[in-house]
Amino acid sequence: MGLKDFLSSLFNYTPNHKETYNFNLVEDLNTKIYPDSTLGNEGIKKTNIFPSVTVNTDYLKSKYNLLINSDIIFRDFILNARGKQYHALLIFIDGMINTEIMNEFILEPLMMRNKNNLYDNSQNRVISEAVANNITVRKVKKFNLPNYISSCLVPQNAIKQVSTFEDIISGINSGNCALFVDTLDIAFDIEVKGFKQRGIEKPSNEIVIKGPHESFVENIRTNTSLIRRFVNNENLIIENVNVGNITKTKCGVCYISGLANEDLIAEVKFRMNNLDVDSLLSAGQLEQLISDSSPLNTPQLISTERPDKSASYLLDGRVIILVNGSPYAIITPGILSDFLSSPDDKNQKAVFSNFTKFIRLIAAFITLLLPGLYIAVTSFHQEILPTELLFSILASRANVPFPIIFELLVLELSFELIREAGLRVPSPIGPTIGIVGALVMGQAAVSAGIVSPILIIVVAITGTASFAIPDYSFGFHLRVYRFVFIFLGYLCGFLGIALGLFVYMISMCDSKSFGVPFTVGVSPLEKVKGSSYFLPPMEKREYRSGFLNAKKETKQGHISMKWK
Amino acid sequence: MPKKLFKKIFIVILIIMLLLAFSKSYSTLNIDNLSVVVAMGIDVSDKNHLQISFQFTNASSVSESGTTEQAPSIIYSVDASSISAGINLINTYIGKSVNLSHCKVITFSEEIASRGISDEIYTLINDTQIRPSTNIVISKTSARYYLEHSKPLFENLITKYYEVFSASGSYTGFTANATIGDFFDSLICHSCEPYGILGGVTNNSTEYTGSSNSENDSTTKSNASSLSGQSTAENTGLAVFKDDVLVGELNSIETLCFSIIRNQVDGFLISAPNPNKANSYIDLHVTPLVTPKIKVNILNGTPYITVDCRFTGRIYSMEDGSDYLDSNMLNQISNSCNSYLESILTEYLYKTSKALNSDINGFGKTARSHFLTLDEFYNYNWSEKYKDSFFKVTVNSSIRSSSLLTES
Amino acid sequence: METSKITTAEAISIVLGIFVAYTLVALPRSMLETTKTATLINLIYVGIIALLITFLIYKLLLKFPGSDIVDVAEYLGGKPLKTLIGIVFIFYFLFSSSILLRNFCECLKIVYYPMTSLIFIILTFIVVICITLHHRFSSIAKVNLLIIPLVIISIIFLFVANMKNFSLDNIFPILGNGLFDTFVIGLGNLGAFGGITLLYFLPPYLKEPQKMKKVYLTSILLGTIYFLLCVSIILFMFISLMYTNQIMPLYSAARYIEFGNFFQRLESVFLLIWILQMVCYLSIIAKISISIFKKITNIRDEKPLIFVFGLLIFAISLLPKNYAVSKLIEDYIYHYMVIVVSIFLGVSLLILAYFKKRKKKELKADAQKTI
Repeated sequence: MGLKDFLSSLFNYTPNHKETYNFNLVEDLNTKIYPDSTLGNEGIKKTNIFPSVTVNTDYLKSKYNLLINSDIIFRDFILNARGKQYHALLIFIDGMINTEIMNEFILEPLMMRNKNNLYDNSQNRVISEAVANNITVRKVKKFNLPNYISSCLVPQNAIKQVSTFEDIISGINSGNCALFVDTLDIAFDIEVKGFKQRGIEKPSNEIVIKGPHESFVENIRTNTSLIRRFVNNENLIIENVNVGNITKTKCGVCYISGLANEDLIAEVKFRMNNLDVDSLLSAGQLEQLISDSSPLNTPQLISTERPDKSASYLLDGRVIILVNGSPYAIITPGILSDFLSSPDDKNQKAVFSNFTKFIRLIAAFITLLLPGLYIAVTSFHQEILPTELLFSILASRANVPFPIIFELLVLELSFELIREAGLRVPSPIGPTIGIVGALVMGQAAVSAGIVSPILIIVVAITGTASFAIPDYSFGFHLRVYRFVFIFLGYLCGFLGIALGLFVYMISMCDSKSFGVPFTVGVSPLEKVKGSSYFLPPMEKREYRSGFLNAKKETKQGHISMKWK
Repeated sequence: MPKKLFKKIFIVILIIMLLLAFSKSYSTLNIDNLSVVVAMGIDVSDKNHLQISFQFTNASSVSESGTTEQAPSIIYSVDASSISAGINLINTYIGKSVNLSHCKVITFSEEIASRGISDEIYTLINDTQIRPSTNIVISKTSARYYLEHSKPLFENLITKYYEVFSASGSYTGFTANATIGDFFDSLICHSCEPYGILGGVTNNSTEYTGSSNSENDSTTKSNASSLSGQSTAENTGLAVFKDDVLVGELNSIETLCFSIIRNQVDGFLISAPNPNKANSYIDLHVTPLVTPKIKVNILNGTPYITVDCRFTGRIYSMEDGSDYLDSNMLNQISNSCNSYLESILTEYLYKTSKALNSDINGFGKTARSHFLTLDEFYNYNWSEKYKDSFFKVTVNSSIRSSSLLTES
Repeated sequence: METSKITTAEAISIVLGIFVAYTLVALPRSMLETTKTATLINLIYVGIIALLITFLIYKLLLKFPGSDIVDVAEYLGGKPLKTLIGIVFIFYFLFSSSILLRNFCECLKIVYYPMTSLIFIILTFIVVICITLHHRFSSIAKVNLLIIPLVIISIIFLFVANMKNFSLDNIFPILGNGLFDTFVIGLGNLGAFGGITLLYFLPPYLKEPQKMKKVYLTSILLGTIYFLLCVSIILFMFISLMYTNQIMPLYSAARYIEFGNFFQRLESVFLLIWILQMVCYLSIIAKISISIFKKITNIRDEKPLIFVFGLLIFAISLLPKNYAVSKLIEDYIYHYMVIVVSIFLGVSLLILAYFKKRKKKELKADAQKTI
């Protein structure tokens, strides 16, 4: 660049040619660019399959946007059957099918000439013959091509005849392949699924000592197989319900038909069939969609990744929902005692499991109430504290500049931050965060005089107790509501906590989960068979949960150990 | 929706209102704003007002590293016309608000106790902060002097010492756990009289009181003991009141008798005369077997009180040539112990009735069973009739053996 | 809101809750003031009378299955009598619960919130009641079933922990102020059984109406035992002049509990449990009042009334000028209100309705005979 150019660039007006890249998705939030798409709003209108393969091909090509969709494969071939040749079409999605099965059990028997498809139509099958007046009347079975193909030609274990495009498309989308044959107005939906999926592993969030170590995976068929192996009875029904207008996610409603209450089954299916959502991607979303409303946001359905827990609840008379693509099963209905129970309770002796249940109950109270009680006692009721403890607290707080409520809120929020950070940290440095965050920061804060050591202990005990709650959602609920009790304790001491506790208990007693009161069995004075919080010894567990009104009341004989 | 918005605004306003309303109480009761009084002392000052002393402990000296130094105590005194006025003045002086919830000891001087302390007791009981289990000490010296010399020997915090010293009565019998709750109960009750712990400071006086039957036993009381050492407060003996006025004192052996009758002692040590040797004594550790049986009969309008005690004991002292497994020997020692205990108990009971006319033992409560209605009892006027009482004490003790050695 | 049903245990605990709520404030004191040391004998005597009255009420209500006293009043005297009786009972419930709330809040203010104005303490209770009234009656009953055992355990603990401070001689002289005072004037202690009022309204709520006898008799029996327990704590711990002078005798008894040197002054924990019971009692009474109002006015939805009833309780509780006035009302007027409204009025209504029913039956039988 010469001096002239330099000077002209300094003093002349040179507009900037380069425009800054400015992409806006929506220019004006009030005007719609596109009219509402009808995707997912197809309704129940069904289109029948056409007898001509060419027409079917064009229809499906436009449906699947074949020109731009890269993994949809259309395979034309000539099908041999009974000496005749038919134009046939196979449609599948690359990556979702098992190519070996497709080649060996579908293409080969249909394309290759073999003795199966070389019959000619002269050999009709005679069903019956009657002779009268020297005239022989024979009833001959007419040749039925669809039956012939499905019964004789295709040695594949699961093959279904469908007559509408919606059914065949849903089959293709789930990983099956579709076979269209010229002159037939039906198509075959053939099971050739072969996509990669995660193997059965140990449960990551519900660890038990004595129970089985298998957990659910994403594929619904694997999950149903896991449950079937536990229940081992033909009365286990697994009904299919599709949820989601676009995704049409497969959900399985499982129950044991001689046990589960019919009203409960009907209610579950009613709620699932009346969901107007575009997509359903996880069991958590389904849980929120079909739960009753709860003012306290307590979880109302149990989520589990253990098949043994699901099977045990199935045998109790409850209804399980499995969602394709989610390794969690939903158990309906869920009551308060269930959220404080672990699957290991029934594997131990009653005395030990009742002891751990008692510990969990205390942990729940501590998680909810301890910080609130601490602030209530130090703000209004310090006479409860023994004198020496009071002096320790005063001494430890001598240099702290903040009031107790501020300290407590800062520590609680830091603890929540550490917990949230711990979830996202890559595993090599995961434990380090726990050590760095909790120990070092806490110790440093005490040494710097920002917080008092007694408050660190209170927050640490509360945090530890919250980890003792078996159910993740319920633990979350307690963690959130402890802030309400902290505020109430600060506001007016024990009066606030008592009133808050009362409103909390009333809201809990008022909520229902699928028609069952949420707090059934909590009070020891309320006698509902089989649903007390503490477990009786093994030989006394005769009754199923009374609140379910299952079809069979007892699950054990009066004397179950007949050998004694 | 405007209705929902209105509801939310209403809730926010309500919360702010309640926060403001309760924050005043919060600032009064929050521990950051409190200075904790551990003991109080009440004296008479020059202008016939009260001199009220407050003892505080510096809490910051109690650090988490576990210091072995004693936490220093700070005493402030103020002249005021009443206790509440005194608290008011101290609040102004100190800055932090005074809190009496952890006050362990309330000390009255002998002077003010002789004048009558019912007003102060009523005021203190009416206070929501004072615990009913706070000890009452009547100090032979001034209350402030007593508090200044109240230094624990083995504890770091003075509150621990205050909690523990009154409990020593359960194994010696030389002091009792006199609380303000009991004091108030007895004050308004028509059938018993209040008492307080007698406090004093060692090495302060040479007064020595003896008793005719107990030349060898400890007959000390506070401010007149033979202890030597660091000048600290001592709490031996009881102060006896009639209504709210101090009328007399009990020395250690008399306090032991009081504790025996009230069943407040678990075991005690006495020196009974040796049956085989004159001018010689055997030390026995005696434990009550049952609560003493007390019967009150009204004969010709005067009370006739029988006290029946049962003890078991072991011999503590040994001397050369003694054989304590011999049943005759044990019987003789038991009889000696019985007669000794009967004599000291009788002497004590007659002192309370004749000399002091104060039923601190609570015999009036047992006497009530003789009356059908409350009016009859009030008309009888127990507190005046007590000085005419007759007593009969029966002691039944069985000395089982000596401790480790059986003979020497 | 449809009538939500309650189980037998919940029904018993609701009636017991009314007994408990009054004892927490000042009922033992007022009983002891009248009959002094003879209160225990008097309580047994009054308890037997209350049991007999309850049995009578049960037998009479059995003739009108599923109806409460307002329905019986309608049967007896038509709509005017129904409205009048409904208003009397609403007034009785609101007045007694507001005065109890006022007394309780006065005690709370003295003990814990000396600088806070009384209005705000009462306001917190009213806010909570307004929130809980939106829920069903059966959930309030369920929570009550959870809280009542806690309260009873706390009272038993109070009894056991204070045993070392008891002097059993306090029960002498055995006849207190005399035979006449104990058995005739002592009948005023029948006013402690305010829970009998609730018995008139229970039948429509019972899930198992065949267990009505068990509910009625068990609740009164348990109530009597509970009174005996509370009164004996105070009688044995304090002497006669002292228990007439305290604002909350049970609270004062709780101040004496100590275990060693570290568990002392536990009365705040007791108060936490007692506040739960108090607010539970208030919710139940307000709920029943609203349902009576709904019955006499035939409105469809009572949700808008919740705020109104809350304000009413708030206003009535602020009526007494100072604690002396509200103490007087609770100690004397409340007892006589219970005896007049709950016992005389209720029983006489039931007896009159029963006679009317019998007369109708006889007339019908006569008419059928002539035919």
